[in-house]
Amino acid sequence: MKRITILTGHYGSGKSEIAVNLAVQEKSDMLVDLDIINPYFRSRSVRALLESHGVEVAESTLENAAGSDLPFISPKGSRPFVNRSMRAVYDLGGTKHGAKIMMQYRDMIKDPENLDFLVVININRMETDSAEKIVRVIDELQNTSQLRVTGLINNANMLEYTDEQTIRDGEAVLKEVEAQTGVPIVMTFVETTVKTTGDFAGETRPLTRYLAKHWL
Amino acid sequence: MAKVLMKGNEAMALAAIKGGCDAFFGYPITPQNEVPEYLSYHMKEYGRVFVQAESEVAAINMVYGAAGAGARVLTSSSSPGIALKQEGISYMAGSQLPAVIINVMRGGPGLGSIQPSQGDYNQVTRGGGNGDYHVLSFGPETLQETVDLVRQAFDIADYYRNPVMIAVDGLIGQMMEPVDLDNEIPKMDLPPKDWAANGKSGERGKRNTIVSLHLDTQGLEGHNLALKKKYDEMVEKEQRYEMIQTDDADIVIVAYGTVARVVRSVIETLREEGIKVGLLRPITLWPFPEKAFEKLPESAKMLLTVEMSLGQMHQDVRMVNEGKRKLAFYGRAGGIVPEADEIADEVRKLVGGSPA
Repeated sequence: MKRITILTGHYGSGKSEIAVNLAVQEKSDMLVDLDIINPYFRSRSVRALLESHGVEVAESTLENAAGSDLPFISPKGSRPFVNRSMRAVYDLGGTKHGAKIMMQYRDMIKDPENLDFLVVININRMETDSAEKIVRVIDELQNTSQLRVTGLINNANMLEYTDEQTIRDGEAVLKEVEAQTGVPIVMTFVETTVKTTGDFAGETRPLTRYLAKHWL
Repeated sequence: MAKVLMKGNEAMALAAIKGGCDAFFGYPITPQNEVPEYLSYHMKEYGRVFVQAESEVAAINMVYGAAGAGARVLTSSSSPGIALKQEGISYMAGSQLPAVIINVMRGGPGLGSIQPSQGDYNQVTRGGGNGDYHVLSFGPETLQETVDLVRQAFDIADYYRNPVMIAVDGLIGQMMEPVDLDNEIPKMDLPPKDWAANGKSGERGKRNTIVSLHLDTQGLEGHNLALKKKYDEMVEKEQRYEMIQTDDADIVIVAYGTVARVVRSVIETLREEGIKVGLLRPITLWPFPEKAFEKLPESAKMLLTVEMSLGQMHQDVRMVNEGKRKLAFYGRAGGIVPEADEIADEVRKLVGGSPA
């Protein structure tokens, strides 16, 4: 995984869950929660878990204020761009509105070769259920963030309804996107409870539900 | 349509479109913003009306106007926004106007917090407006149940000519779950809206008027009694509830919405330990499902109400119980959702064991 991994996508695509999983799996130095769109299920809500894995959390300037939806962003979030020894995961808010926030960091990126801008796609979401729609979403995200999308993450999980076929269906659609745009599938996340017979496109990684608890 | 993965608020918005909603009037507030957001760009695809009003008060009065003209109308808000709409809701009940109101509840009182809560129970079931009136209200548990009820709510509102509220805590508005929006749902036989003030009475000199003002006291009491008859019919016909493993239960938890989801996992854990616990889940908050309590077995010696508020529904449980069974209460507030372990420990304490 690259030094800086930025996750974007539609809201409800699983970005935050994947951001937390990646930060934990990679023991990243920092998780930057830039979600100013969603009021709930944000990666900052599992701060204690992240800290127990040695991951520092950057979120709002008002820390631990889950009761507010003020769009404040901690200046801590720019540190990984300046300190090039840091490895960080950035978790953006959903849609192009959430991606716009990256504009402020554009001039700080001095080592673009060490940066991945990944789109998390769940094909069970109506807004991203076909290659055509996904290509359009990628365009929008690139335009508003001023960053080039470097990879796709297949997250076709559908809670307890997920099976291997669900994930393969997601993969098939993303392969079409890959063929049309040249943007590769870099990872596939499979919830740990799902039985599979083989690997998937890109790196296959386990998904643990940290945010959407099991009774949800 | 196969199941799709949707966020609660979006799913309710789409369900309203499927339920034949002609017009939406609302004002933004977290955590329900995805409802107007979704409708703001999808209503026009169906040739329907979407207006973001200048305030909640304006929005509910637009609802009044459109409902008076015979349209199927929706508004949505969250707790403090619903408080602002209460005047209009009382006027609608008085004028016998149907509408569907979605309330995605957050912490209170006042501005409180944007985190989930069930602290509107009294506001939903008692109404914050003046006069003898009721709003038929639902407190669903899953997104599928929520969208099914949103679709049915338009029929129910039209049938009774009364506002119907869908009251979910913020978590249900924000959570993701697969839903089917084209499944079979019960349809009601509805008479034509010949009362609507739409300029189409067809008779010269005959005008439909929509009023809640009654100048003679006899007339108003007659109107009050007519409304009462309607509410009695709701109490008789509309109580909805689910009973889960109550048949042999020694202790029955009463919980709705998100809390019921947590309780389901508690039942599994406790039953493995040999504690016979069940769940009585109100689906209608008003009318409160009294009939469910009549069906509880003799073995159920205790009822434990669990709420994301501090004893609001528990008052209804106490009233229905009429002193028959022992009562206990456990609640969290301020936007905190009770965890399964907390509730399990509470039950263990009540049955005399020690917390695990």
